[in-house]
Amino acid sequence: MTKTIALMLLLPAALGAAASAQGRPNFSGTWTHASSVPPNYPGSNGWGVPSPTIVITQSATEIAIEAGQFGKQPMKVVFRLDGGDTIWDAPSSSQSGNTAIVKWRTKASWDGSRLVLYTWNTALNQMRDILSLSGNTLTIVRATEQPGPSTNATLTYAKRP
Amino acid sequence: MRRVPLSLVASVVVLFGSSLLPAAALQQSAKGGVGDITGPYEVPDPKWPAWAHPYPKPGHIWGSQGGVFAESPNRIYLANRGELKLPDTVPPNFPGNWGFFNQQAATVPIANMVNCIVVVDGNGRLIEAWNQWDTLFEWGRGPHQVYISPYDPERHVWVVDDMRHVIYKFTHDGTRLVQTLGVLDEFGDNDDLTRLRRPTMIDWLPDGTFFVADGYGNTRVVKFNKDGKPLLKWGSRGTGPGQFNTPHGIAVGGSPPRVFVSDRGNRRIQVFDVNGTFLDEWPGIAPHSMMMSADEHVWAVDSISDRIVKFDLTGHVEYSFGQFGTRPGYTWAMHQISADQEGNLFIAEVFGGRTQKYRPRPGADPTHLVRGRSLLPMSGSAGN
Repeated sequence: MTKTIALMLLLPAALGAAASAQGRPNFSGTWTHASSVPPNYPGSNGWGVPSPTIVITQSATEIAIEAGQFGKQPMKVVFRLDGGDTIWDAPSSSQSGNTAIVKWRTKASWDGSRLVLYTWNTALNQMRDILSLSGNTLTIVRATEQPGPSTNATLTYAKRP
Repeated sequence: MRRVPLSLVASVVVLFGSSLLPAAALQQSAKGGVGDITGPYEVPDPKWPAWAHPYPKPGHIWGSQGGVFAESPNRIYLANRGELKLPDTVPPNFPGNWGFFNQQAATVPIANMVNCIVVVDGNGRLIEAWNQWDTLFEWGRGPHQVYISPYDPERHVWVVDDMRHVIYKFTHDGTRLVQTLGVLDEFGDNDDLTRLRRPTMIDWLPDGTFFVADGYGNTRVVKFNKDGKPLLKWGSRGTGPGQFNTPHGIAVGGSPPRVFVSDRGNRRIQVFDVNGTFLDEWPGIAPHSMMMSADEHVWAVDSISDRIVKFDLTGHVEYSFGQFGTRPGYTWAMHQISADQEGNLFIAEVFGGRTQKYRPRPGADPTHLVRGRSLLPMSGSAGN
């Protein structure tokens, strides 16, 4: 009897967890931007300019996104899926040509079936990407912050077969 | 009612002289001191504040100055966006401000977020360093601006952090953080009253109601009650009446009270009632910062002309002075102005990397001096 009650109590939670997990898409794959030419993205210094191709690898614990701006080397960024921060250092060239160490930080959270990704660095760049999936179409609602005005864009990617 | 653009007026004055101006332009420029660099003030002492000359950490210097607030002639809050490393060699006449190098703005190098909030006396000697809060500003660009409500008997200190999307409310002595508006590192959209996006400035009504310019991202004004509960918002991105492009400054005053908003990207000041109804616009000026003075005038620092401009509350220019530069008295990107009750003026420069104190010149026309609003006396429980 006790086991039955315990099972009855646990079952809805277990079912809920399963349903929640089922509602969370897997974004893994290679994705191609809808446009093959660099868009006129309103940010500065290239920050936020969408990559022509992005490669996403998603596991139960993290999502890794390898992307690059048009004409620039790809960069791989990892987000933990448990809500924790990922922090690392990377050298960066400044406008004056000097090289400085820039600290980076990422954080991810689920909003239903959408995945919200934050990226910050100490060179005063921020990005919030909201990823959603519909069939073979990946939509990224991107908001970027730099010292000047904020920018917004909606980016569409198609899955490469 | 539309006004003649201030920048246009200044250009016409320089080119043709005031005798050729049409009546409306003359009205805007007659008392403006084009070419007058420090107005009614003496040339500032480049060694003010003493706290930063030399900077406490050898080989470093204070960087971009986001804000300054003069609570009284002997208690001035400085909001620093961290320290910068100096070149290996600096000339012997180096005065201690980043702009001296005349190269890049103080916002360009990556700053070390220390000594972000300090309090100095009238001579610039250190009273308090709130280093316990320096970590709040990591991952951002440091404090954007700093304020005390003139109507708060506890004199809480409000610090805006635009890049981390929050506004902090500290006790007067900085020992406690009592409230955070917004959500740290998260930003919302224009209709989200819980989250801010790059807020910039605050000002208050006598009952404690306050208004936040929010800001670079959400391009709106948010009205809060005295407890920090959001009541309403107005504005969206655009160029029409009631729309904004980077609302960066805000000042509240007049009778009935009005909200004056610096619509920096659209190069105008817009005027609203306290519920956001559009009333007027004053074109031709793009202020980083504005303040309501004790005599109920709007003082604005123009990011285009680098001038400090005095408006009456109907938008007429009564006086102006200032000029771009890095020598003492000149300015490079004025970001917040504040004045004490004796008419000492303080200007924080984000690109020049300094805060200057302008003392009134003996015999100066008192109507040309900026005087800060008197603050309510402190209640006994508010500490120092």
